[in-house]
Amino acid sequence: MKKQYALALALVAAGSGIAAMALNMVHTLPDWAYMGVLVIAFPLFVLGLGLYWMAREGEADIPFLGY
Amino acid sequence: MIAQLLFAVFFGLLLLGIHRKVIARIQRRPGPPVWQEILHMLKFSFKTTWVPKTASAILFVGVVLVAIGIWTAALFVVLSGGSLLILFAIYMLHKIVEHGFGLSSGSPYGKFGGVRSVISAASEIPLFVSVAAIAIFTHSLLISDIIAYQALNGPLLFTIPLAAVAMYVVLLSKMPFGPFSIVESKELVSGYKTEHFGLWRAGLEVCNGLKTYVLLLTFILVFIGGLPIWLILIVMVLILVTLSFVCALSPMLSPYDSVTVQTLIAGIMVAYVALLGVMS
Repeated sequence: MKKQYALALALVAAGSGIAAMALNMVHTLPDWAYMGVLVIAFPLFVLGLGLYWMAREGEADIPFLGY
Repeated sequence: MIAQLLFAVFFGLLLLGIHRKVIARIQRRPGPPVWQEILHMLKFSFKTTWVPKTASAILFVGVVLVAIGIWTAALFVVLSGGSLLILFAIYMLHKIVEHGFGLSSGSPYGKFGGVRSVISAASEIPLFVSVAAIAIFTHSLLISDIIAYQALNGPLLFTIPLAAVAMYVVLLSKMPFGPFSIVESKELVSGYKTEHFGLWRAGLEVCNGLKTYVLLLTFILVFIGGLPIWLILIVMVLILVTLSFVCALSPMLSPYDSVTVQTLIAGIMVAYVALLGVMS
């Protein structure tokens, strides 16, 4: 994944969470919908941010299969 | 909600750090600092990350998202006083997640860890029995109703102590380095998470922090009742220290023995709940 896509993913996820919080605070979004947004957005934010930091764009490796 | 979610992740990881420290001190080792698991999570976030060639890429990455997502949902179920059944459905989903972690990587160690995860589903039976015992007394499975019942009638810990013991065994089966931790035993390197390195492992650490926080919080709310948050955090640490003592002083069981012991506990619990049902 390209780093700019990962950053976009993290920003969209964070933006969704913050927007849901703001809408919930003004009683536009019910609690269950706010929680639903966070359940989807939080994992995407964690992975998006991490991929932006360190993901490698090169070749994949084979896993460790024993000594 | 966002603040509570972040607090749960970091406090859960701190609890896992305390767990490692207590085990080390009991075994007369200095042990890592209590914030080691938080550092682990951050460290893995900065490590080089990719998907192994032999892995099923969609499952390999997707299962990390699902792992964090289901425990985020579990936290909100507990905080909103939702149903225990939803919470335990999420608990069962975690079993599938562990299986997915193991099978997605293409590594034999991961696969064995995933298979053991299915074998260790025996640990869930005491959980269902403890739910049945709670329902007999409270006539509800909503956590908010269970808290209200305990405010009037005292903690369920004293009313149905064996159900609390069954739930405690479930907590024990989810703690690292415990007698039932067969999915992560050393002969499998790191079990189902062997090939999830770098960012994927950081995601798993986030999931583990949330899981530890949610399970301990549920135990307190269901068997002790609603307490001020500062007291809940202290009780969480106290329960965790008792779990650490058990983990430090008992060897890891073989998969066969682990399932046998858990099935035996489940059998005793079924008889106990049947007795409760007849008496009530």
